[in-house]
Amino acid sequence: MAAIQFIHVTKEYGGGTLAVRDLSLEVAEGEFVVLVGPSGCGKTTALRMVAGLEEISGGEIRIGNRVVNDLAPRERDIAMVFQNYALYPHKTVYENLVFGLRMRKVPKAEQRRRVAEIADILGLSDMLQRRPAQLSGGQRQRVAMGRAIVREPQAFLMDEPLSNLDAKLRVQMRAEIARIQQALKATTLYVTHDQVEAMTMGHRVAVMRGGELQQVDTPQHLYDSPGNLFVASFVGSPAMNLLDAGLERDGGALVCRIGETDVELPIDTVARRPTLERYIGRRIAVGIRPEALSEATADPNAPRLRGRALLVEALGAESLAHVEVTASPLDRPELVDTVASQAHLLPVGEQTATLLARLAHDTSVRPGHVIEIAVDVRRLHFFDVDSGVAIRAAEAPVTAAAAG
Amino acid sequence: MSSITPIAPTPVAPATVGRTAAGRRFRRGRLLRRAGLNLLGLAVFAVMMFPVYWMVATAFKPGRDILDYTPHWFPAPATLSNFTNAIHRPYFWTDVKNSTIIVSCVVVLSLAIAFLAALALSRFRFYGRTAFIVLIIGVQMVPLAALIIPLYITLSRVQLVNTLTGVIVMYMTFVLPFSVWTLRGFMLGVPRELEEAAMVDGATRFGAFVRILLPLVAPGLVATSIFAFIQAWNEFIIAYVFLHDSSKQTITVWLASFTNLHGTDWGPLMAGATLTALPVVVFFVLIQRRIMFGLTAGAVKS
Repeated sequence: MAAIQFIHVTKEYGGGTLAVRDLSLEVAEGEFVVLVGPSGCGKTTALRMVAGLEEISGGEIRIGNRVVNDLAPRERDIAMVFQNYALYPHKTVYENLVFGLRMRKVPKAEQRRRVAEIADILGLSDMLQRRPAQLSGGQRQRVAMGRAIVREPQAFLMDEPLSNLDAKLRVQMRAEIARIQQALKATTLYVTHDQVEAMTMGHRVAVMRGGELQQVDTPQHLYDSPGNLFVASFVGSPAMNLLDAGLERDGGALVCRIGETDVELPIDTVARRPTLERYIGRRIAVGIRPEALSEATADPNAPRLRGRALLVEALGAESLAHVEVTASPLDRPELVDTVASQAHLLPVGEQTATLLARLAHDTSVRPGHVIEIAVDVRRLHFFDVDSGVAIRAAEAPVTAAAAG
Repeated sequence: MSSITPIAPTPVAPATVGRTAAGRRFRRGRLLRRAGLNLLGLAVFAVMMFPVYWMVATAFKPGRDILDYTPHWFPAPATLSNFTNAIHRPYFWTDVKNSTIIVSCVVVLSLAIAFLAALALSRFRFYGRTAFIVLIIGVQMVPLAALIIPLYITLSRVQLVNTLTGVIVMYMTFVLPFSVWTLRGFMLGVPRELEEAAMVDGATRFGAFVRILLPLVAPGLVATSIFAFIQAWNEFIIAYVFLHDSSKQTITVWLASFTNLHGTDWGPLMAGATLTALPVVVFFVLIQRRIMFGLTAGAVKS
């Protein structure tokens, strides 16, 4: 196993379209890194450049210590799992698995031993003589995995390998891939558009948008401390509530004005964000995770927002309430992930925003109720409205985008 | 057909069709329509098959039955004398040999060249690709008759008139465009990821074509080879114009020799025609089973 390094990698297509812009990222030996982003963000292009299926316009890609820019795919010693599996339809499962070994002139006996071993691990032993057409989706997925593993390559590249499976199988295979990756300690670069997949599988997650890397971090840190509005809106399901707010000084304390509600910020929250002072008297974007909102009865001292419940979705373990409050929704569609942003899905007036709140499963809130929801002020996120950059606590790296 | 009742737009649920009057009408209409279509199919079949049958039947009839004013529907009594007569005509075996050489060369060459050309057109981007594809269709629209004289002059300049090579080149001019076009279609149906997977697995680019793409477009190769075989074997005009010596003629030109100043020798002609048609039928029967396979099934899921 070897590390994969992107060093200022750029991909430009004919006509001047930049698919990947100055990407620097390292996948350490044995690490599982997930590239995630909306479609067209350049993540697949980045992966294909590592595989050698796409030329590199600028910068350098290293696998191990070798610069692979000018090497053919077969000389890079990597294995790739394709979104549509790309099994050889005219070959049996055995022939599919052994193909890479044959190409690399592995001795016959060794070929048989390794295929048998992998087939055993993946539960494919009974179907080695079948052709891909005779397999179910999950089995094809396993053969595609097996074909990659059996080669014992320097690194694995996976291009949305689960997107063709149904929801239940996807969850199962998600765990299976993560387990295999851990067992093999295989350097893995995994591409997906599904942020849940990214969060659950990766040691680190790299969020991309429009060809640019937004942030690389562990899933938890990415969730707790998004570097900008895009990452904040993209990571997390349901998505973070984003509101337009004003920041003012009221006596000694800083007050965040959301709609007509003044939310006083705790001293330590402010103390940890020295740059927040600069925004006094200006508009900022405030992010509230749905779990930072609760029914006011649970926490009588917390600042509260008043609103009308529009919809309550019972999810079994919890209920998701859509609450319309008096506040301005953040109107910066170019800075957020518009698919995840609820503000654009539900009808909103000039001064009303719809918040998503994670409530207890046995909540008594019903659609139409006017309720008060408590805001956990320590879990608020602040962003610069113009640049979208987070106003973060000082101990977090200020520009995580440059990490790696 | 006029007895078919138009389907009434009654709000009858599908489950009750057949029990109501409207349902019965609906069912009877469908039966009638199906019977009509079957009859039409049979009529087409008869029209297509009758000439073939008549050729084969005539080949087995004695001369007086052939020329009789009352048609003899079956060759009774049957005779093989027409066949012996045809086979023993001068140049039969020479011309069979010529045709075989020409057809083999055309099939093999057109497959090899068309595969590579289709590969370029379906897998690589290059300047003028679209124009080239349009050109390939375009050249097929020029009528052959308009080309014969210019081509004759061109070939005569390079000393290829009255040679099998010349005829092979001529046949390629109309077999190749079609073959390239057909194979390109088959190749576009093979997902590119399959070759990419092979390349990542350790194959060279050309290796991926040969090991993955080639077997997968086999049905296309079969279809094209059938086309090339039939075209080259049955072609008459070019062979007739370009090959002067009886010893260099093809089998179709040989067939024309049954008609001369004294009239047409129908029995041996039909026997010869039957023999000529045989290789095409045999070739097709041998190879057609392979066309049908949807070989790419299960490769990818999209």
